[in-house]
Amino acid sequence: MKALILFAIMVAAAAAQAPKTNPLAQDPKAAEEGRVAFRGSCSLCHGIKGEGGRGPDLTVSAYATGTSDADLYNVIANGVPGTEMAGFASRFESDDIWRLVSFVRSIAGSSSSRVAGNVGNGERLFWGKGQCGQCHMVNGRGKRMGPELTQVGRRRSAAYLRESVVNPEADITPGFAMITVVTKDGKKIVGTQRGYDDFSVQLMDASENYYSFQKSDVASITQEYKSLMPNTLGRLFSESELNDLVAYMASLRGERR
Amino acid sequence: MGKAALFVLLAAGAGALRAEITPDRLLRAQSDQSTWLMYSKNYSGWRYSPLTQINATNVSRLVPSWQFQSGVAGKFESSPLVFDAMMYFTAPTNHAYALDLASGHQIWHYAKALPPGVSICCGQVNRGFAALGNTLFKVNLEATLVAMDAKTGGVVWETTIDDVKKGYSATVAPLVVKNKVIVGVAGAEYGVRGFVDAYDAETGKRAWRFWTVAGPDDPGGKTWDGESWQRGGGSIWVTGTYDPDTNLTYWGTGNPGPDWNGDDRTGDNLYTDSVVGLDVDTGQLKWHFQMTPHDVHDWDAISDPILVDTAVNGRLVKALVQANRNGHFYLIDRVAGSFLYAKPYTNVTWSDGFDDRGRPFAIPAQAPAAEGIKSCPAVGGGHNWQATTYSVQTGWYYFPTTEGCQTYYKNRQEFREGLLFTGSTGSPIPLEPTSGAIVAMDPATGAIKWKYALVSPATSGLVSSAGGLVFAGTREGHFIALDAKSGKVLWKYQTGATVIAPPITYLFNGRQYVAVESGSTMMTFSLPEWESPGSPGGVR
Repeated sequence: MKALILFAIMVAAAAAQAPKTNPLAQDPKAAEEGRVAFRGSCSLCHGIKGEGGRGPDLTVSAYATGTSDADLYNVIANGVPGTEMAGFASRFESDDIWRLVSFVRSIAGSSSSRVAGNVGNGERLFWGKGQCGQCHMVNGRGKRMGPELTQVGRRRSAAYLRESVVNPEADITPGFAMITVVTKDGKKIVGTQRGYDDFSVQLMDASENYYSFQKSDVASITQEYKSLMPNTLGRLFSESELNDLVAYMASLRGERR
Repeated sequence: MGKAALFVLLAAGAGALRAEITPDRLLRAQSDQSTWLMYSKNYSGWRYSPLTQINATNVSRLVPSWQFQSGVAGKFESSPLVFDAMMYFTAPTNHAYALDLASGHQIWHYAKALPPGVSICCGQVNRGFAALGNTLFKVNLEATLVAMDAKTGGVVWETTIDDVKKGYSATVAPLVVKNKVIVGVAGAEYGVRGFVDAYDAETGKRAWRFWTVAGPDDPGGKTWDGESWQRGGGSIWVTGTYDPDTNLTYWGTGNPGPDWNGDDRTGDNLYTDSVVGLDVDTGQLKWHFQMTPHDVHDWDAISDPILVDTAVNGRLVKALVQANRNGHFYLIDRVAGSFLYAKPYTNVTWSDGFDDRGRPFAIPAQAPAAEGIKSCPAVGGGHNWQATTYSVQTGWYYFPTTEGCQTYYKNRQEFREGLLFTGSTGSPIPLEPTSGAIVAMDPATGAIKWKYALVSPATSGLVSSAGGLVFAGTREGHFIALDAKSGKVLWKYQTGATVIAPPITYLFNGRQYVAVESGSTMMTFSLPEWESPGSPGGVR
C-alpha cells in the first residue's frame, strides 16, 4: 500500500510538472520529429499533411479545443472526451507530445480549405431539399440512423464534409457500417451498425427501429463498408448550394442555440 | 500479513501439497496437473494440459468461479503461475499479486513505482512470473530483474539488466532452467541493441549474455552497416523454450531498428527476426535461423518457439514450430537449426516463396515508401506475440491471427536517445478493417485443419487441453472454448473487457479450473459444483 501511495504521489507530481509552453519550441528538429510520429499515429484521421479528414483540419490556426501550447498538449495527451480523439499519454513520452505540438504549429495557417458558402442557406438546404434530417440529427432535431452531426464542424474538415456529401462511400464513420440481416423466415432488415461481435449484431434501420440479433438465431448477417446515404446529392445540388451546405455543416460546432 | 500467512498454512493443512520447486520438478511440469509452473506450462512451450474434467461434452456448462479485480490500469498480458494453493500473476506498471487459489482473495500485492525516463512503445505491460525454490522472478519495466519470496512478495534481490537511458525496458516472463533465470530486453523501437541474459537464481549475478545483434567483430557482424549495430534492435519480449536433450534454450528475437527504414542497415541484420538456439549453460550460439533477413516491416520472430517431435515426409524430426509475424508458418530442425519448410497461413504480399534454405524472396516494391504502400500482413503481423498451443491429443498447433493489410510509410529519422526510432510506421487502410482468426494446423504438413473467423484481430493467447478444447479470448470481451478437432464454439462467456492474456488451466481440490485475465480482472471458471468430482459438494 505504501508503494501505491508513493506511486500516486509521483503520478500527480509528474502531471503538475507539465510546462505550459512548449519547451521544444526553439528546437529546429522538433517539428520534423513530430511529423514522423504524426504520420504513424495521427494521419489516419487528420490526413498525412494534417489537412484533416475524419479528424479536424490542423492546418487552420485556431482549434475548437483551444489554441495554446498547453491546450494542444492536453488534447494529444488526454484526448477529447465524447469524440473519436483518443489520448496518447500512454503511448508517447511528454517530449514526444511536445514534438507533435511543434509539428502542428509548423503547419498552422497553411490551410487551403476555405468555407465560402452561406450558412443560412446551407441550413435550409440541409433540412429541406437535401432531407438530411431523415437520417442525421443536429441539436436534437432529425433522426438517428446516420452519424449525429451537432459537432461535425469541429470534428471533420470542410473538404471531408464535401466529399461525404458527394461521395458518401469515400469513408464510413467507424461504427456505422451497413448491416443486412436476413431472418430465418426470410425477412430482410437493413440498417447501420450499433454493435457487432462474434456472436451478435445490433443495428438501427431508417425508421429508427433498433434491433439486436444473436447470429445463431438468423439466416445471415452481412457487414459491409458501404453507406446507406444516397449517392445522388452531388447531382441534386448546384456547386453554390454544395458550398452553402458544407458551410452550414462546418458551422456545427456543438454550441447550444 | 499475519492473518494471510495463517490462511496459507490452513490451506496447506487442508490438503494442498507444498513442495519446493526444483529444477527436476520444472522438467516434469507437464505431468503435474495441479500446477502451472512456467509461462507455457512446460519447457517445450506447449501450453497444453492433460486435464479432461472440463471437456467437449460438458464445457457448455462452464460457469465463473471467482474473480479478482486488481484495479490496475493498462493491458494485462500475464500468464499466471499456480502452485501451493496459490495463484501468482503480474500486472501492468510493476504490479504483481498472490491470490488464494480457493477464494481469489489477495494474499500479497507487490507494487513498485515506475521511475521517470523509461521508454515503452506498447503499454506498461508484463507477461508473468517464473519460479524456482520458494522464489518468484519477474522483470520490472525499468529493465530490472526481481527475485521475491513467494510467501510474502518481499524482494530478495533486484538486479539491473541494463540502462533505461539507452532505451532498454523489460516485459518478458523469465524462463528458469537449472539454477539460471533467463530474460531479455525490450526497446527495439528506441534504438537498443538487444540481448538474452541469464542470471544466477540465488544471487542475481549475471551468468552470461547473448547479443541478438552481432557486433562488428562477431560472426554475422558484416550484416550491419557502420555503427548501425549499436541501435540494431532485436528485442526479447516473449519467453523462450528449452530442450534438455539438446541442452539448448530457444528464443525468438525482435525486429531490427529502425523498424520501417532499412537504408542504414543494408545487410541481413543478424540475429534480428530469428530464432536462436543457445547453450543454456554458457549462452553460446549453437545455431540461428533468420525468418526475415533485412526486415523493413517489423516482423519480430517472437512468437512462442514451440518444440514438437513430428514426422515430416515419413522422417521423425525434432522440430521447432512458429507462426511468424511475417505471415508464414515455419518448421525448423531444432537440433541443427535447419529449414524444413514454411508456408503462408494468411494473405502475404511482401514476399513470394523461399529458397531451399528458407530465405524468403522479398518483393522490393512492397517495402515501406514515403507516400505509403499497401502491404500484407498488417503492421502487427499475421500472428503477433499471443500465446500459441500444441495439443498432444490432436497433434495440432493452434494460433490466433490478424487478417488484413496496412499502409506502410517510410521516413528518414535521426537517432536520438530515448525517442521512438522507427523510421515511420504503418496505418490502417480506410474501409478495409482487419479481422482475425483462430487457426488449427498440422505441423507436419502445414495444412490448415480449421480456421475460426473472428470479427476483429485476435487479442488473446490460447490454451489447449486433453478435454478436446482450445480456449481463446476476443477483443469484444468474449472468452470462448473451441472444439479442438472441429473449431466449433462450444461455450462462450462475455467477460466485459478485451481479453489479451493467455489462459491457463489447472486442478485444485479435485476440480479443474480455467483462468484468464480480462481487462484488469483475473477470472476463473469451472463446472458447476455438483458435477465436479472431488469437490467439497460431493459427486453425483
